[in-house]
Amino acid sequence: MLKQEGALPAGLRLTASDRPGEAQPVPVRDIPSQPWGRIMGFVAVALALGIVGLEANARRIGLHAGDLDNSEVAWVKERVRSDSAEVAIVGDSRILFDTDLDRFEALTGTRPVQMAIHGTSALTLLEDAASNENFRGLLIVGLADTMFFQPFDGYGEYVKRRGDFTSPSGRLGIEIDHILQRRLAFLDSNHRLSVAAHRLDPDFRAGVEGPKHDIWKVSEVGENRATSMWPRVEHDLAYRARTRWAWKGFKEKFPFTPQLIAKGHARAKAAVDKIRARGGEVVFIRPPSAPELRVNEEAQLPKAKGWDVLLTKTRAVGVHNDDLLPEVQRLTLPEWSHLNRACATVFTDAYVRRLAAQTPRVKLRADAPPRLTRDNCVPATS
Amino acid sequence: MIFNSLTFVAFFLIVLAVWQLRLPWFGRKMFLLVASYIFYAAWNPPFVILLWVSTVVDWWAAQAMVKSERPLTRKLWMLASVVVNLGMLAFFKYGQFLLDNFVAIAASIGIDYQPAQYSIVLPVGISFYTFATLSYTLDVYLRRAKPAKNFLDYALFVTFFPHLVAGPIMRPTELVPQFAEPKYTTRPMLLFGLALITLGLFQKVVLADGFLGPVVETVYDARAGVPMMLDAWVATLAFSGQIFCDFAGYSTTAIGVALCLGFAMPDNFRFPYAAIGFSDFWRRWHITLSSWLRDYLYIPLGGNRHGEARTYMALLGTMLLGGLWHGAAWTFVAWGGLHGLYLSVERWLKGRFAGYRPERAMLVAIGALTFVLINITWVFFRAKDFTVAATMLQSMAGLAVKPVGMIAALPMIYAMVIVAGIVGTHWAMRDKTLEIAIERTPAWLIAAVWSLMAIAIVAEQGKGSAFIYFQF
Repeated sequence: MLKQEGALPAGLRLTASDRPGEAQPVPVRDIPSQPWGRIMGFVAVALALGIVGLEANARRIGLHAGDLDNSEVAWVKERVRSDSAEVAIVGDSRILFDTDLDRFEALTGTRPVQMAIHGTSALTLLEDAASNENFRGLLIVGLADTMFFQPFDGYGEYVKRRGDFTSPSGRLGIEIDHILQRRLAFLDSNHRLSVAAHRLDPDFRAGVEGPKHDIWKVSEVGENRATSMWPRVEHDLAYRARTRWAWKGFKEKFPFTPQLIAKGHARAKAAVDKIRARGGEVVFIRPPSAPELRVNEEAQLPKAKGWDVLLTKTRAVGVHNDDLLPEVQRLTLPEWSHLNRACATVFTDAYVRRLAAQTPRVKLRADAPPRLTRDNCVPATS
Repeated sequence: MIFNSLTFVAFFLIVLAVWQLRLPWFGRKMFLLVASYIFYAAWNPPFVILLWVSTVVDWWAAQAMVKSERPLTRKLWMLASVVVNLGMLAFFKYGQFLLDNFVAIAASIGIDYQPAQYSIVLPVGISFYTFATLSYTLDVYLRRAKPAKNFLDYALFVTFFPHLVAGPIMRPTELVPQFAEPKYTTRPMLLFGLALITLGLFQKVVLADGFLGPVVETVYDARAGVPMMLDAWVATLAFSGQIFCDFAGYSTTAIGVALCLGFAMPDNFRFPYAAIGFSDFWRRWHITLSSWLRDYLYIPLGGNRHGEARTYMALLGTMLLGGLWHGAAWTFVAWGGLHGLYLSVERWLKGRFAGYRPERAMLVAIGALTFVLINITWVFFRAKDFTVAATMLQSMAGLAVKPVGMIAALPMIYAMVIVAGIVGTHWAMRDKTLEIAIERTPAWLIAAVWSLMAIAIVAEQGKGSAFIYFQF
């Protein structure tokens, strides 16, 4: 095999580029002479050992099987479910992390469809929900003021091209992916080989914001995008400090001009009106942020100019964290921007009860569990 | 369905299992045809209809050409095939582009024309299967090939899933005869096929998507700032690696998949970054496209048979259209035009210095110059518009005003090590085939490298991102 062909050096075989203007013959593919069976056996064993090693390392650093990762296809799946949903949630990462879907269901008997996306303007998602003619339920819009009024869609811009993520192949792929992720912890996009390799860079190159400045893994995602804080952020002090550092205090100044804010209000009103016109309703939630961030958020976009006017213009019910009872204030925000798992349950309990008091669209079950307070999630010593 | 997806893994395992059953050859071919349609429909089911239209029209056109000896009738059937195929391609791929340019031209002469907005979804792989089916009718018309003996073999030639959506662009004479006799996969074929699949997926998932793509995106998709000279060059070099690993990775995987089923597909790449000159580059890069353009465009345009001026026109015309084939944007036309210019200059120089025989050092220098100039063309290929391309070229020339660093040190080092590895490998392999290199490598080393690649693919996971060439 592998003899010299034509005028080519030994070892090369002719291709279509060597035969201009003629019918191309059936290609010949040589099979190198090797002990392929033994080689394959070695590869199979090595691959199995490699997977065991990857899994052991993943569990060592705190990853869990059942963390389903987030993806565009998973979001689109929930978007489809929202067609007939009684309650759906949109917004940025705060409402995503800070809502305990189990608690919501235990209180109301309804499990909301979670459509919030991290790093995304809640306004973009509110408008998307408004464009869904099938949705006639209650839409809970969770927002961080600065992100809501920014003129960018943010990370979740893909919602505007969700048709790209509806292929049969994509839908089947995510089901297979989830089957594997329910059993294997190492299948986590935040800890892929290249991501881990890039994050070894501690800012070697002066003046360049490298992977160190990215937001590393902060959350775990369960079934139907039920999202909560990754326990390591809470318990690993160094990792928690790194995450806080990566937020950079939300100090980056953005020019929230009166025109920009007014445009945000107008867009929100149009979307809310559209949902109401077909029998739906919208409420707004403002989850907490730590004083270290809140001071900068307030400096950029005061509550009076953003949140208060939003509720007035849209004539919508709103629950701001500041409005909650003192016993559910000062919850634990390990990295300043999101609640830990236990406090997310308390916050959910608080805002659902508040909503139930303000709108007939949310009703507490007769056998709803008892009210939770800060004591249920914050250790007495803290 | 894309090769680097779990859906494909499941699909391929099922196909492979059924293929091993000793069913009658007709039944196995029917199974392969249905599997290929499922493969295509898994992306967007309605577009299978386009595939059927293309298949049926070309089948009938070829049959009619065979039945008729009248040159005019034959030509009309050939033209019917060309019009239907290129018509579909023009509508789906170039419709919006043509409309946008029409509006721009109208505006330039003071006509405010506002056409109705419509959005056209590009059927995946339409450029590839259109060229494959066209080659069938054109080969029959040119009497280079006899038509397929039965419709099933012909439909399989068009639809055969390993080459359907991103090549290699196969000719009927390369594939149709392979359906004539039953194919059975031997164990070495199957295992070597799996090794090729691993190599292809490693190139795509780990190198292109994992390590090179992010570096390219950091600079080419930067929201603000002008890159420093170093960053612009690193990003462009990284893209040269990314586009190779992405597309050669696809081709290698496709060849491996076909081999696992007992079929042979042609080489699509022959270590192109070791090319010495641009005609050499195009004999090594996307071979099945460049040879298609040569046989069905360059030669019919006159080739080199009608004097120097006509040759240059044919060269330039072929490369401009080749550029447009890649995408409906003027940046792709510029990319093709630049290659046409390179090829023309090279041809002129070869004529001017006909007796010159460069020494080895000079050959390496010409090879290095070829690589650098190829990288210049990649700027137009990757940039989303001419503004970005101009910014990149300005930075690469060291003429940027207030440039900023964009790529962190380690990602930059990884990317450059990978690109150096690719270029070094191409030079080491430029006069070899992969198969001969593997045959000369100790088995333990093959096992070790294969294992590392497999583990790296699993560790990288991949997000099932589409191959760059899918958009073409």
